[in-house]
Amino acid sequence: MRALEHAYTPSRAGLFDATPVPALAALAAAWSLAALILPAPAARGIGLAAAHGGLLGTALAWTAAERPRERWAPLAAALLLGAATLSARLLPLGALAYLAVPAWLLWRHHGWWGNGLRHVTATLAGALFGLLLGLHLLVNAALTLGFHVRPPRAADFVAWFAYDLGANVLAAEMFFRAGLFVRAHRRWSFTAAAALSTAASVARYLVDPLLPHTAEILAGATFYLGLLGAGNCWLLARHGSLGGPLAAGLIFFAAYRLLAR
Amino acid sequence: MAACVVLLLAGATVCVALSEAGAGSLWRHAYHAPVVLAALRWGMGGVLAALAAVLLYSPFVLPALERQGPSPAVLEGLVTLALVLGVGVSSGALAAGFRRERARHDTLVAVQRAVDGETPLELTLVRLRACLEARLGGAVGLAVRDGERVALAGAAVLAPGSPAVRVLATGAPLYIADLGGGGRPRRAFVAPLVGRGGTTGALVLERRDDVGPGERRALLALAAHVGLALENARLAARQRRFAEELAEKVTAATRHVVEMDRLKSDFVAIASHELRTPLTALQGFSELLATRRFAPSELARVGAIMNAETERLGRIVADFLDLARLERGLAPPLRRMRVDAGAVVSEAVEVLRRARTTHALEFFCQAPLPAIEADPDALDRVVKNLIGNAVKYSPIGSCVRVAARPQSAPPGVEITVEDEGPGIAEADLARVFEPYFRTAGGARVAVGAGLGLAVVKSLVDAHGGSIHAQNVAPHGTRMTLILPALP
Repeated sequence: MRALEHAYTPSRAGLFDATPVPALAALAAAWSLAALILPAPAARGIGLAAAHGGLLGTALAWTAAERPRERWAPLAAALLLGAATLSARLLPLGALAYLAVPAWLLWRHHGWWGNGLRHVTATLAGALFGLLLGLHLLVNAALTLGFHVRPPRAADFVAWFAYDLGANVLAAEMFFRAGLFVRAHRRWSFTAAAALSTAASVARYLVDPLLPHTAEILAGATFYLGLLGAGNCWLLARHGSLGGPLAAGLIFFAAYRLLAR
Repeated sequence: MAACVVLLLAGATVCVALSEAGAGSLWRHAYHAPVVLAALRWGMGGVLAALAAVLLYSPFVLPALERQGPSPAVLEGLVTLALVLGVGVSSGALAAGFRRERARHDTLVAVQRAVDGETPLELTLVRLRACLEARLGGAVGLAVRDGERVALAGAAVLAPGSPAVRVLATGAPLYIADLGGGGRPRRAFVAPLVGRGGTTGALVLERRDDVGPGERRALLALAAHVGLALENARLAARQRRFAEELAEKVTAATRHVVEMDRLKSDFVAIASHELRTPLTALQGFSELLATRRFAPSELARVGAIMNAETERLGRIVADFLDLARLERGLAPPLRRMRVDAGAVVSEAVEVLRRARTTHALEFFCQAPLPAIEADPDALDRVVKNLIGNAVKYSPIGSCVRVAARPQSAPPGVEITVEDEGPGIAEADLARVFEPYFRTAGGARVAVGAGLGLAVVKSLVDAHGGSIHAQNVAPHGTRMTLILPALP
C-alpha cells in the first residue's frame, strides 16, 4: 500500500501548471492577424486550426509536463490541423487528412489510449452511451424542433466523421477530459472535477461559431453536451481509457450530423 | 434487477406512446415504479433511473409544449417529469442512507468479531483488514503501535514520511486526493486509531473512487471504534496474562511454603537429634561424675569429653542464632581486621588434621597472598565448616585438598576445598547454600540440619566475597570461596 510503504510529498503544482502560454499566445496572434488581413473563409480556417491545435497542444503539454518539447505542441498541432483544413477545402475527400492528427498523437503518446480488455470495454460502453444519447437527440429534435433525420451523402458523412475524429471530438476529449478533468480529479472530488470539465466543454461548444445561435439550439446543446460531458467524465474515471469518451463523442456527433431542417 | 428496471421503463414509454392522451396519459405514472425499484436496489442508482425516465418521457411532453403551450395535459406532464426526478433523488438518497447505516452497523459488528478472541496482534490485524476490505470497497491497511514496534497489516514495511507515519505522529486524520504513482488518481484516507494513551495506530483506506466528507466522518468514527476494540482486546489479553501469572506465582508460593514447612519439620527433627546427642553425652557423664569416683586421669578425660560436647552444643546453638539473624535479613556481627588468610586457613587445617584421622588433609598455599579485611573467627568457622562438610560427605580414606591462592582480577584471595566424594547433582548445585536444603544423596550419607553452608554463605556475603560449588572430574566437589583484598 502506497500510504504505508511510500513516503508522500504533497504536490505543489497548480491546476494550470505547464500550460504552453507562449505557443498559445502565438496561435492567438496568428488568428488575430489572419482575421485582420485575410478573407473570412481563410481566417475561419486558420481560426479553426488554431483553436483545435491550441486545445490539443495544451492537452499534450499538460499530460506530458516532464517533456519540455511539448511546450510547442500547440503550434505543431495547429500546423497539422491547418494543413488538414486546407486539404479538406481544396481536395475531394481531402478531409481524410484530419486522420493524420490521431495518427500523429498515437505516434507521440500511444500510452493514452489504454490497452487490453479494459480499453475494449470502455470503448464499447462509450459507444453505447453515445448511441443512446444520439438516438434521444434525433427523436427529441425531430419531435420538438421539427428537425428531420436526413442521411447525408457518403462523402459528406466521411468528411464530417474525419473532422470529428481528427479535430472536433479529439481536441475536445483530449483537452476537457484527458487534460482538464484528470488534473481536476487529482485535486478534487469526481463531482467537482466533472462539473468543471463539463461546464468548460459546454462553454467551448456554445461559443463555437459553427453552432446555430438560436435559443432552442443553445438549450438543447447545453442539455446534451452537458450529459455527454458528464458521462464521458464518468467513463474516463471508471475505465481509465480515453476510448470510451472518444467513442461516445464520435457517435453522438455522427447522430447530430444526421439532423437537417 | 437491471433488466427489470429497463423493461419497466421501456414498458411505460410504449404505453404512453400508444395512449391517445399522449403526454397526459395515465401511464406516465408508471415511470415511478422503475425509479423506486432502482433506488431500493442501488440507492443513488434511483437518480440514474429517474434521469432515464425523464429522457424517455420528455419527447412526449416537450413537443406538446411546443404545439399546445402550457395546456393542462402539458402541465401534468411537466409536473410528472419533476415528480419522477424528485422521487428518484429523494428515494435514492433515503435508500442510500439506510444502506449506509446498515453497512456501518454490520461493519462495527464484524470489527468486534474480528478482534474478539485470544490471537496475536498480527493475526488480529490480518482478520480486521480482511473484514474491512470486504466492506469499505478499497484496499485497507493497518499500522498499530505495539510497545516499541509497529505491527502492520497490508504492507511489509512502514516507510518514514508515509501518510500513516504522519498520522501516527500528529494524531490528525489525513485525506489525500491523489497518492501519485501515475495512472488514474488514487485516493487515500488515513484515520487515527485512538486508545487511552492517545494515537495507537492508523487505519488506511486506498481506492480510486472518491472518499467524500460524509464517508470520512464515518471512517473516523469507525477508526475510533477499531482503536477502542483493539485496546479492549489488548487489555483483556493483559488481564488474562496477569491472572495466569498470578495463579502461577500463587502455586509456586504455595509449593514453596509447603516445602519450607516440610524442611522446617525435618529441621526440628534433625535439630532435636543434633542437640540430643551432646546433651545425652553431657547427661551421662554428669551422672557418672555424680554417682562414681574417678581417678584423676579418668576425671580429666571425662572433663575433656564434656568440654568437647559443650563446644559442639555451642556451635549448634551459634548456627541457630546465625540462621535466625539470616532469616530476619540481618548480617552476622563481624569484628573485621587486617588478616593473613593463608595463616588462618593453615591453622584451621592443622587443627582439623590433628582431630580427624579418617581422611587425609592436604593444604597448598601460593604465597604471597594479599592481605584481606576479615573477622578471623568467622573465617576460621567458614573454613572449618567447608572442610567438615568435605570430610562428612566423602569416603573414609579419601583426601580433602585445601588451597589458598591470590587472585588478580579483581584482587583477592581464592580458597578452595575439594573432596573426592560423589559430587552434587547439577540441579542442586545452586541450592546447596539455601537454609535447610539438603541433597538427596547427602541426607542418606550423614545427619545434618542443612544450616552449615547457609551460614557460610551469609558470612562470606558479609565479607563482600562470593562462594560457589562445582563438581570436579572424575568425582568430587569443589567449593570455591573468594574474598576481596584490601586496596
